[in-house]
Amino acid sequence: MIRVSDIRRSFGALRALDGATFEARPGEVLGLLGPNGAGKSTLIAVCTGQLVPDAGTVDIMGLGSPLRPEVRRIIGIAPQQIALHDDLTARENLVFLGRIHGVREPVRRADELLARVGLLPRARDRVKSFSGGMQRRLNLAAALVHDPQAVFLDEPTAGVDPQSRTAILDAVRDLAEHGRTVVYTTHYMEEAERICSRIAVIDHGRVLAAGTAAELAAAHAPGAAGAPGTLESAFLALTGRSLRD
Amino acid sequence: MRAVLALALKDVRLLLRDRPSAFFTFAFPLAIALFFGYVFGGTTAAPMRVVVACEDRSAASERFLRAVADDPSLDPVAVADRAAGEREVRAGRAAALVVVPDGFGSAADAAMRGATARLEAVVDPSRRAEGAMLVGKLHEIAFDAVFASLPEPRWRPVEVSLAEVATGPGAGGFGISFMQGVAWALFGAVTAFASGFAEERERGTLVRLVTSPMRPWQMLLGKGLACAGTCMATQWLLLGTGAAFFGVSVARPAEALAATAANAFAFTGVMMVLAAAFRTQGAAHGAGRAILLVLTMIGGGTVPLVFMPPFLQAASDTSPFKWAVLAVEGATWRAWPMAELWLPLTVLCGIGVAGFAAGAFLLRRTVLAR
Repeated sequence: MIRVSDIRRSFGALRALDGATFEARPGEVLGLLGPNGAGKSTLIAVCTGQLVPDAGTVDIMGLGSPLRPEVRRIIGIAPQQIALHDDLTARENLVFLGRIHGVREPVRRADELLARVGLLPRARDRVKSFSGGMQRRLNLAAALVHDPQAVFLDEPTAGVDPQSRTAILDAVRDLAEHGRTVVYTTHYMEEAERICSRIAVIDHGRVLAAGTAAELAAAHAPGAAGAPGTLESAFLALTGRSLRD
Repeated sequence: MRAVLALALKDVRLLLRDRPSAFFTFAFPLAIALFFGYVFGGTTAAPMRVVVACEDRSAASERFLRAVADDPSLDPVAVADRAAGEREVRAGRAAALVVVPDGFGSAADAAMRGATARLEAVVDPSRRAEGAMLVGKLHEIAFDAVFASLPEPRWRPVEVSLAEVATGPGAGGFGISFMQGVAWALFGAVTAFASGFAEERERGTLVRLVTSPMRPWQMLLGKGLACAGTCMATQWLLLGTGAAFFGVSVARPAEALAATAANAFAFTGVMMVLAAAFRTQGAAHGAGRAILLVLTMIGGGTVPLVFMPPFLQAASDTSPFKWAVLAVEGATWRAWPMAELWLPLTVLCGIGVAGFAAGAFLLRRTVLAR
């Protein structure tokens, strides 16, 4: 279980997180939906130990704060930015990450993951020769190299083709089926509806509402004659229609 | 420790795959060492090219011209007249013009009666130091030509003997230039790792380290280990190449090891400070390189310290490169005992400790800040 309670974090005068609270259970994909600047990436950074919150607590699988190295051992993250070394091969990237996480057989584990994301035939190629979709798939594999219990995926399908998107979504679903707890941020409503067990809508650093896509639609965007609306209309009802830059 | 080693090896691998960085760390220092080795007369001391305009027709002037031609330190070429000779010097084809003016012979013949035989020399302004050497050489040759009638061994009013101070073996041009190359090797390694750190921050790969079980000190140790290891490798590549092919002596390996290790430690500290100071790879490449370049030049990386004016020689004490070169020189051709080597080694260790402390402090406040 990932428990996030009343997290606050400011950068100077800017309040990025203002009491964010949510829970994610094992075997669940929790979607974090929010407009640009809502605080999704900052929340992920706090949950993975990159940032210390000004107030509030994060508990990962009952072990405590991600600021503790032993807790980070069970956390995996695929950042929004492709965080891979261009001049290393796909296998070298994963083996390196396996070694810093203390994986016993990093080469075997790297090949296993490369096969899972469809990159084993390109294992010996440098990342700079990969397409955007291949880099996204490898970015996901890099998050899983140490078989983490809690996985944070920050817009893992941004800018990829439908084939790579399908492969990534299949891999995320597979993680949940194997009991992992997944927190997944995205802008795509259709994607959230497809793979997220529950969705938390976040804006201005707060979780505004949480539930299944159907629950959110029913509660926040009732359609004509009382019929449920769409997740997108619920999202817009919660976060407003003003542009966010 | 396994994670620290994995991080260090990854960084070294990335350096070797980045061709410009690898070139400036390993090949460029070697090229600098060879270039300056030949400039300092590494294998052949080329005689000075002079042009000679003789306006005097006498036995004394002929003796003088023959002696000039026979002298191994001079490479004389006759020209028709003074104007032709000055053209050659102005064009840079000769270091100086020597004029034997009309009346040289008659004055030489009357030298025993107090007459003075005069010669003239016109030197290229960029080669004044050689001009001074030429004046001395002409005095010596002209004395022999003027007093040729005296019995051997000829009387000389002053006899100067020249000897080099006792040093270890390998004190030639390459002995000096390969130690200058060490400064450039350290320059290349520090620049590469400082910009590599900035790149890691810019590209987001640092997030993977920060979210791993590694503690901040382990990350800094891994980064430092990679930089220090590379500094050692590139210094020993230079010393090894110099010893194998260019007569550079590493006769006292323990002292050389101490000097190169102190250099590696000091410059890893410098790298830490630069990595903390510059947030982007562009800044680390540009400003970091510029700062190091100035320190390298002040420290004698291009022009040896002895050719610098006194205020620059004093300023060179602030450059870690000066102490780096001094340490490896002391451990090699200067053949300093440990008692003399301690000063540069202590300064280098001080630079390393200060750099590590400042760099780690800044990095924890910026790069690794949570």
